[in-house]
Amino acid sequence: MTLSSSFKRSLFVFHFNAGSCNGCDIEIVAAITPRYDPERFGVRLVGSPKHADVLLVTGPVTGKMAPRLRRVYDQMADPKVVMCIGTCGQSGGVFYDSYNLEGPIDQIIPVDVYVPGCAPRPEAIIHGVVTAITKLERLEGGEV
Amino acid sequence: MNETLLTPQELVDRFVGTFGDAITDPRIVTRAEGAKKNPNTNIWMTIDRGILKPVINLLKELYYPHLSVISGWDTGEELRLQYIFSIYYGKPHGEIMVTFTVPLKKTDLTVPTISDQIPGAVFTEREKQEMYGITVEGIPDGRRLFLPEDFPEGVYPLRKDETGIPDSMIKHLWETKRPTDRPAPPVTEKEDTEEKPKEVKSDE
Amino acid sequence: MSDEMKKKPYVVPIGPIHPALKEPVQFLFEMEGEVVKKADFAPGQTHRGIEWMGMRRNPVQIVHLTDRICGICGVTHSLSFARAVEQIVDIEVPARADYIRVIIAELERIQSHLLWAGVAAHELGFDTLFYLAWRVREDSLDVIENITGNRINYGLVQIGGVRRDITPEQHPVIHKCLDGYRSLLGKMINLFLHDTTISIRCKDTGVLSFEKALHLCTVGPTARASGVVKDVRVDYPYAAYGDLDISPILPSAFGGEINGDVYDRIIVRLLEIEQSIGIIETCLKEMPEGGILWEPKLPKLLAACKKAHGEAVGRHEAPRGECLHYVAMDGNEAPAMWKIKASSYSNLHSWIPILEGEQLADVPIIVASIDPCLSCTDRVAVVRGNSSDLLTKEDLHRLSVEKTRRIQGC
Repeated sequence: MTLSSSFKRSLFVFHFNAGSCNGCDIEIVAAITPRYDPERFGVRLVGSPKHADVLLVTGPVTGKMAPRLRRVYDQMADPKVVMCIGTCGQSGGVFYDSYNLEGPIDQIIPVDVYVPGCAPRPEAIIHGVVTAITKLERLEGGEV
Repeated sequence: MNETLLTPQELVDRFVGTFGDAITDPRIVTRAEGAKKNPNTNIWMTIDRGILKPVINLLKELYYPHLSVISGWDTGEELRLQYIFSIYYGKPHGEIMVTFTVPLKKTDLTVPTISDQIPGAVFTEREKQEMYGITVEGIPDGRRLFLPEDFPEGVYPLRKDETGIPDSMIKHLWETKRPTDRPAPPVTEKEDTEEKPKEVKSDE
Repeated sequence: MSDEMKKKPYVVPIGPIHPALKEPVQFLFEMEGEVVKKADFAPGQTHRGIEWMGMRRNPVQIVHLTDRICGICGVTHSLSFARAVEQIVDIEVPARADYIRVIIAELERIQSHLLWAGVAAHELGFDTLFYLAWRVREDSLDVIENITGNRINYGLVQIGGVRRDITPEQHPVIHKCLDGYRSLLGKMINLFLHDTTISIRCKDTGVLSFEKALHLCTVGPTARASGVVKDVRVDYPYAAYGDLDISPILPSAFGGEINGDVYDRIIVRLLEIEQSIGIIETCLKEMPEGGILWEPKLPKLLAACKKAHGEAVGRHEAPRGECLHYVAMDGNEAPAMWKIKASSYSNLHSWIPILEGEQLADVPIIVASIDPCLSCTDRVAVVRGNSSDLLTKEDLHRLSVEKTRRIQGC
């Protein structure tokens, strides 16, 4: 990994709750607070998908949120990377057989990085963001 | 509000005395937990639909009741609504839960609204309408609450009969495989880099 | 623009997406100038059909589903559900397990109130305080991880007891964390309650009168801040709470009268942290010896559940107020009926009276003040006539921050 050069610029992250239990969302916010402090590398949460490089999606995608998730994804500028945080966004987790779910997330939008866990620790989320950076670098370099 | 506190037995007697046969199966259930085994009290009564509003009026005379929620239970032949109240809150160890069960026939699923007596009931009455397919007469706001706008009409998630969730609506999330319309992951690259973290899979 | 056009109210839909917290909820505000004339909201964006799924699973599986109803109230729902099932099956929980349940529930209250305090500070544009609250919150998460093995979704409560014991080696870890909070609490109270800006922004904002709080059936700190004396822990003895000598916390405990505004809700939550510290210390001291589970063998437990008939209600005072689970069982493996009433369910409709008549810039802090775990709104579309502008969550947050700066300027 060539992390040193990519940390020259800052990475903006947008968080989308697609019906999660809130556990992952809390851990995402916990990941930006002083104990972990990824902001010293320029990683920060932003309030608009139009400013973001990385989209963090949590939750198994409920019926009401599926079209909104597609819209938010479309609003993001290229190059973009989508991260799926938490087990329920990948396979449903404990919500494996509901009537109101449209997920998993990769059925709605393309996902690049999966961070499993229920809920993943902040360290795991930061590790996922680092993986996303390498992916972004490859996209920038025109490899894909 | 009346400040004299009735004991659970006096409460049941008061209700049965006022409404007579319209109340069936009154039960006082106590449960003691912890090391000191201080008991808490729960009163259960089954009432006719016709006396729902007078019963709540009587409850209001005793103490302003806190409506926790209206629950429901589809037992097959009938639909039972549970109006779960608590009174005498604010009195240490003195709170009493009062639950009125209203059985409804499947052919006539209507109840009067209690939101004119307890304004906070609208929320839970709206939920009962969409989840059980009952009609709350006189509800000030009859819109859907939790279900999406395009949810099919005539399907009520918490019913156990033919109006419940059909198997066709259930989505098995665990069955989904990797999407087929995406480019294959760079397999050769994966073999080259041994340090690639195992728990995070990269997917392109 | 004609005068008539200027006076016409415009509609501001907010949400349903916002980065920080809980359920996405959509708001619709009818505005007249800067003032909210009419407010409405649409919940249900995260409706997963958990009750329905639960009716297809057995009680032990449901316990792990209840953990995932809400990631912040990890123990609340599992405790309420377990208590309901224990009443139907007639299970006697060992006293030690009751004490462990109370300890973990109070640790959860501490982390939840600190989380809320941080969010409230963020909404006011006081980000230093936000970072302080969230940094000290990590200490309680460390203790929770030490006891349960996970930071979130603890999986500690089991039907008939708890799954992990608190060993003597863990006592110093817990005491160290509590002592840290006790010494920090004075600083937090000073920062929140004696700060001029917070006072100006929060006093007389989002007022919920005593009558409204009573009639709308609000629960928890929202109700107590309006003077409704109601705390399930005190009123209705359950678990080990019946053994403790506690009383509900009202804003009058901090001197002054009860107004039911945002400021009073801050007082109640901060003082409840102190109360929780005391409860945990008492429980650690008085915890009896003995087993922690009624039946450690799951097949036996499930067989007992399968035989049971009846209905029961399990309640618990969650950090946000009363949480209630109604369970009915009819001799099958899965419960016949399961109804969840989360604490925010009772508090959400109090948004409408407290938002009406307030300024748009005050919306974030008022919405956050009932602790719906819904701090910020993500996207706001302001519709004026035919044209529509998009306000991002940042814009709304900026409005709030600007108001703080204006106040500080004068």
